[in-house]
Amino acid sequence: MKKYIIAFFLLAISFMYIFLSNETGGARVFVNLMTFAGIYGLAAIGINVHFGWTGLLNFGHAAFMGIGAYTTVLLIPHSLGREGVVISSGLPLPIAILVGIVAAALLGLLLGLPTLRLRGDYLAIVTIAAAEIFRLLVRDFENLTGGVYGIIQFSDSLQNSRPDFITRFSESYDISPAQFWVGVLTWISIIVILLILSRLKKSPWGRALRAVREDEDAVRALGKNAVLLKLQSFMLGAAIGGLSGIFLVFNYGTVQASTFVPVLTFYVWAALILGGVGSLGGPALGAVIFWVIIASTDSISRFLFESPDGQQLAGVRFVIVGLLIMFFMIFRPSGILGKKEELLLDVK
Amino acid sequence: MLEQLGNGLLLGVIIALGSVALSLLYGVTRIVNFAHGEIIAFGAIMALFFSSSPDSSLLYLDRFSPLGINFLTSVILSILLCGVFGGLLELCLFKPLRKNNFGNIAVLVVTIGLSIFLRHVYLLFASAKPTSYILELQRREDYFGVQLTPRNVQVLIIGFAVMVLVGIFLTYTRTGKAMRAVRDSSDLASISGINSDYIILVTWIFSSMLAGFTGIIQGVINNVRWNMGFLILLLIFAGTVLGGIGTSFGAMFGGFIIGILVQLSVGLEFMDGHTEAKNAIALALMIIILLVRPQGIFGNKDRIS
Repeated sequence: MKKYIIAFFLLAISFMYIFLSNETGGARVFVNLMTFAGIYGLAAIGINVHFGWTGLLNFGHAAFMGIGAYTTVLLIPHSLGREGVVISSGLPLPIAILVGIVAAALLGLLLGLPTLRLRGDYLAIVTIAAAEIFRLLVRDFENLTGGVYGIIQFSDSLQNSRPDFITRFSESYDISPAQFWVGVLTWISIIVILLILSRLKKSPWGRALRAVREDEDAVRALGKNAVLLKLQSFMLGAAIGGLSGIFLVFNYGTVQASTFVPVLTFYVWAALILGGVGSLGGPALGAVIFWVIIASTDSISRFLFESPDGQQLAGVRFVIVGLLIMFFMIFRPSGILGKKEELLLDVK
Repeated sequence: MLEQLGNGLLLGVIIALGSVALSLLYGVTRIVNFAHGEIIAFGAIMALFFSSSPDSSLLYLDRFSPLGINFLTSVILSILLCGVFGGLLELCLFKPLRKNNFGNIAVLVVTIGLSIFLRHVYLLFASAKPTSYILELQRREDYFGVQLTPRNVQVLIIGFAVMVLVGIFLTYTRTGKAMRAVRDSSDLASISGINSDYIILVTWIFSSMLAGFTGIIQGVINNVRWNMGFLILLLIFAGTVLGGIGTSFGAMFGGFIIGILVQLSVGLEFMDGHTEAKNAIALALMIIILLVRPQGIFGNKDRIS
């Protein structure tokens, strides 16, 4: 119970910080921050299925997010690359999103097959490499992906479905209706996915997954196929990652090779560790608090450098991200909402 | 394709040296050190800091200006500093974690955090743009059909010599033998009276000095960048996995093969115009190796699952 009170106070302080530090346009900043937090929270929920439930080290989440996003965006009307070739026909958005999610799950299958039989650290190496391969291929195969020029003008498929009351509400509070709509959809998805996951976690399948995390040999001795269980968990988390990637590009309105850099994964990891590995709502909570911390690092940059440029801002942010990951892993590995007994700290 | 062989040999030496250091550390401590690349970058950046002329606007913060000392002295100084750095990491971070029974996975996540932290500290303090050491420019010459500059040839020779020395150190010296003993079984080693804490500290120092040397070589051949460590780390992983994780000579061999393959693949027909994808080939090869022979070429089968 105590940790929920702490979580509540942290959230309250975070929201107060947002509104007090921005005298004008507080609502705008709030929606921007909550949308990003939702997207990263969704991605962190995916990693939580991998790491928190099953003990799989996935450091290539950017690749799953990226493949989901690129698949979806390429299937709907868009404008591609340096010349901006307009492709005006495409699948309906819900089907495209579904295909994107399936593509992410299939990438999970592809990466999982060779590595899930091996010790955990191999998976970490392979996933981090896969994320880099993905980025390099996206960059290099420009006529398919738009390369560094990317893909634009695909947002309409989503924004056309925006209900009128969202638009009216946004206008009366001076927030971007497009971003608000993405944010609302993201948080609805988080709630739906968390409801499904809470059922799954209590199911025999969910218990078997946690058994794999605790002691794989015992699971095998009971006649369960541990590799298959790990593969299923890996694909499920990858699919959730794919969905978060789709929301991410709709939030930006564009996607290019630099959207899914490997460091994106570490943002998500930081949010997960902050919120609590293994807990259900922890990743989403962690993502909100994480984004408030990130937003406040800019004032640290201004303290260190007279007029920080983009590189310095990003540098300070990532220094903080690295410190957060280290400190929480060392001193409070269960994060804000996690349970200590659910952690795989002494797994060799 | 052959014109790329020179580049391949150079990249091979870099990756081979980096792989030995990573693999040795992994063998002795069981830590997959994602911050290895950052120690490599530390060596390169420190050498840049020592050797660049004081009036060059090298650093972001104007509080420091480069020292402008002789290049060879800077190299030695930076390698020593890397050793100190590695030793401090072990004493202040990894030894306490070990004593508190942190599992390998938790320590792995900590090394990831450490690598992100260090890399972006470099971004804040060191050069953001690729910078070269102040060495005279040299023209490529023909050595047995391979195009290299005279300095690159020196680098190759020194790199090979260091690898041979590492091999001799591991095979014949007391400390080297003790390292291999701890690697094979730390319990048996401590029964035989080997102080495993001391050996682990020595391994950290040794592996970090090797990493720093790798970074300086990389800086001499290419240039120094804040994120050079991350880029090379993935190739080092590929080399280590190819040769067999935890093996020293396997890692050297694997690293060398990866380096040559990456550069030779530039000459392939379907790679035309896809210069960035050459690294993807090495990483894809690593995934294939894991599929067919997960212990690597020289690896030990019982280490993998």
